[in-house]
Amino acid sequence: MASPGRSSTGRPPALLAATGAAIGVAFAAPLLYLAWRTATGDEDLVDLYTSPATLEPLRNSLVLAVAAALSSAVAGTGLAWLTTRTDLPLRRLWATLAALPLVFPSFVGALALTAALSPGGLLEGPLGLVGAEPRRPEGFWGAWLVLTLFTTPYVLLPVSARMAALPASLEESARLLGRRPVAVFRTVVFPQVRGAVAAGSLLVFLYALSDFGVVVILRYDTLTRAIYTNRLLDRDRSVALGLLLAVLAVLVVAAERAAARRGLVEEGPRTRTGLQVPLGRWRWPALAAVVAWVVAGLGGPLASLSLWAWRGLTGKGSALARNRDGLAGLTEPALNTAGISLVTAVVAVAVLLPLAYLSVRYRARAGDLASGLVASGFALPGVVIALAVVFWTIQLPPSWGLYQSYVMLVFAYVVHLGAQSLRAAQVAVAAVPRRLDESARMLGAGRTRRFVTVDLPLMAPGLAAGGGLVLLSTMKELPITLLTAPIGFRTLTTRIWADIESAFLAEAALASLVLVAVSGVLTWVLVVRRADRLA
Amino acid sequence: MRTHGRGFWGAAAAAVVLLPLIAGCGDGDDGDAGGAEGGGGTLTVYSGRNEELIQPLLDDFTEETGIGVDVRYGDSADLALLIEEEGGNTPADLFISQSPGAVGYLAEQGRLADIGEDVLGLVDEGDAAEDGTWVGLSGRVRTLVYNTDLVDPATLPDSVLDLTDEEYAGQVALAPTNGSFQDFVTVLRVELGEDEAQAWLDGMAAGNPPTFDGNMAIVEAVGRGEVPMGLVNHYYAARALAEDPGLPVANHFFPDGDYGSTLLVTAGAIIDGTDNADEAEQLLEFLLSEEAQTYFSEETFEYPLAAGVEPPEDIPDFEEVPKTRVDMSELGGGLAATTEMIDASGLTR
Repeated sequence: MASPGRSSTGRPPALLAATGAAIGVAFAAPLLYLAWRTATGDEDLVDLYTSPATLEPLRNSLVLAVAAALSSAVAGTGLAWLTTRTDLPLRRLWATLAALPLVFPSFVGALALTAALSPGGLLEGPLGLVGAEPRRPEGFWGAWLVLTLFTTPYVLLPVSARMAALPASLEESARLLGRRPVAVFRTVVFPQVRGAVAAGSLLVFLYALSDFGVVVILRYDTLTRAIYTNRLLDRDRSVALGLLLAVLAVLVVAAERAAARRGLVEEGPRTRTGLQVPLGRWRWPALAAVVAWVVAGLGGPLASLSLWAWRGLTGKGSALARNRDGLAGLTEPALNTAGISLVTAVVAVAVLLPLAYLSVRYRARAGDLASGLVASGFALPGVVIALAVVFWTIQLPPSWGLYQSYVMLVFAYVVHLGAQSLRAAQVAVAAVPRRLDESARMLGAGRTRRFVTVDLPLMAPGLAAGGGLVLLSTMKELPITLLTAPIGFRTLTTRIWADIESAFLAEAALASLVLVAVSGVLTWVLVVRRADRLA
Repeated sequence: MRTHGRGFWGAAAAAVVLLPLIAGCGDGDDGDAGGAEGGGGTLTVYSGRNEELIQPLLDDFTEETGIGVDVRYGDSADLALLIEEEGGNTPADLFISQSPGAVGYLAEQGRLADIGEDVLGLVDEGDAAEDGTWVGLSGRVRTLVYNTDLVDPATLPDSVLDLTDEEYAGQVALAPTNGSFQDFVTVLRVELGEDEAQAWLDGMAAGNPPTFDGNMAIVEAVGRGEVPMGLVNHYYAARALAEDPGLPVANHFFPDGDYGSTLLVTAGAIIDGTDNADEAEQLLEFLLSEEAQTYFSEETFEYPLAAGVEPPEDIPDFEEVPKTRVDMSELGGGLAATTEMIDASGLTR
């Protein structure tokens, strides 16, 4: 086996390889569905894939996805460093708040942010203070801005987890040698978190490919928009475009994995020292930048939502005022949301860990393909995933009772969102020093024991970050919940959607505020506080 | 370090334990929705119409007939695709669609059963499918919503066709990808011919009007004064005003049967192959009863289509609204032609 350097990559154990294959097949469900539908449809693929009506949206999709990935990489890394490794005032608060924009379902987040930034919107005042004109975000720039604000947590969370696990010694030496904070960051910190930054940016890239809420609301003509607007008008075309998107995702991710394999650095061990780089005179400007970010990404939407909720609570004839159950009616959806998201997050982390081992520890090429398949689930719109899972599950004997059960729902969620925990898991596995594992083996520890006592504790912050991403995005998931959940299962997001559709903005706003609050608590408890305590 | 590791997996275990708990929650709910047992079984409804706008009626139906109703709520188009994928195994007995497009799609796929004459006869001709695959349940009318602080209603035109005039250039917000707007353009295309309809779209596009993805966003933007007016469905302003009576928005109805006031229906349809066809027809009949139609008029500000119920106040009489309907047989190929025209105008760019 052509394994470079000192790393000991043997053949993966048979059980692990078999598990990996099974997982890969499960994640191929949407791709196989699209391939089957395309093959049985009567769309001329050559014509379709070469027509300007496809190529232009495809180019737009790629431009938007790359742009959003780059800007999120910069913003997310900066925010992660400031909130984990410096003496920024109230840094843990900012770490929590900065992760929250991820939880806005794009159909409500984009609507609320648009309302805040537009002429006559709530941010008109603050924008005026810095001499900016309010303007409705639209087209490429609008979609890019909104996606960047909402997806930066994909970079922020894994990079924070990685940074929290970094040894302080190097940074301390660099600082003692008189390096300025920025130089310390560039020469010491960044090289060690590069893997996490790449992982997060790739997620942003895939998310931007899959999202249609933002691009439909801000009217930017992407491939997903074509898939969405044609889904009834020209079913065959919509399906064939979905296939194109899925194949694109598999290729991009497999290529990224192959590149990562070549450039993989053995990352150093973790220490328990919490290092705080003094920012000096940059402390207040840095704080201002972080606050500005949080105000735009979280404050903007929240301001609009609060206004709508307030309007509804005080307006006499409003649906909210005459509602039968009011806030109490949100309790059940809130519990459902938290419960199903926790389960999905845990299942996703557990299911994808074997795959991470295969592709990182054993560097199996099949692991790259499986990673690509997992990623394709994330790059496809939720409606497509839901229909694919329906297509396969409905073929099973009804006596199994799987159709539109919780099992099917969680399966569909994991197929759609699992990529988020896979990338974090790969980073986490890569960060376990092989030396430790080898020492343990020499001391006679068996494989299982080594996994539980050596690997798992070291990977915990990374896995929690990956699980946290799955958690937050499950909470805001809409089409899969609507189409595959057991009848009568309501989440906060389905409530918000129903209220917006019926034009009850106040109720939608109230439910959104509860959603943000619930996810804020969960992020704090499960991700931020944990990473911090472990540091 | 080990304790923390355990804490993580402890949390994980707790999460798995939660699954049956929420499962229990859901089941409890089903029980409620199922209501009276032993009456006439349970109907499964896929509804593109929202819970807020129909669940109270379904509860009444269960109470009166003993037939339980389980409802899956979702986007009309997505639910139509779901029914298509489910094929013969679909749990759905009845489909309630917010837009004519989604029922038209299923009718074209041959997935809808014929509805009995006695139910179809409850509405006017034209408010039900000619082939009897769906029946209209309520109507919404197209209108021009405007900001009362910025616009003097006396300056508003009598016809939607006049909105291409210089004085309105860039003043009228549109939702070119929205289903209701597309249905309205289909009416223009069918009634005026492609050339004139395209000319209207081009004329609107020439003013470079602000465009949004849906009616709600337009009413919201008009309310905060970003745009003076916009083309929407009539009930959005009524609902926004119910939430905030101070909001400076009002509807301008184009008079005398202008195309700008076209009526669009929401529809109910029975899924082909259902075992509960009788109960499904019973439910459709109930939704067209005086009680249900009054609910549509008073609670959701829509046009009733049956039982002689009066429309809500402040909207034009039923007789004044053009009787032009989107021709369902035109859907599929027809709607595609409409979206091509909208795309060609540049409004969706």
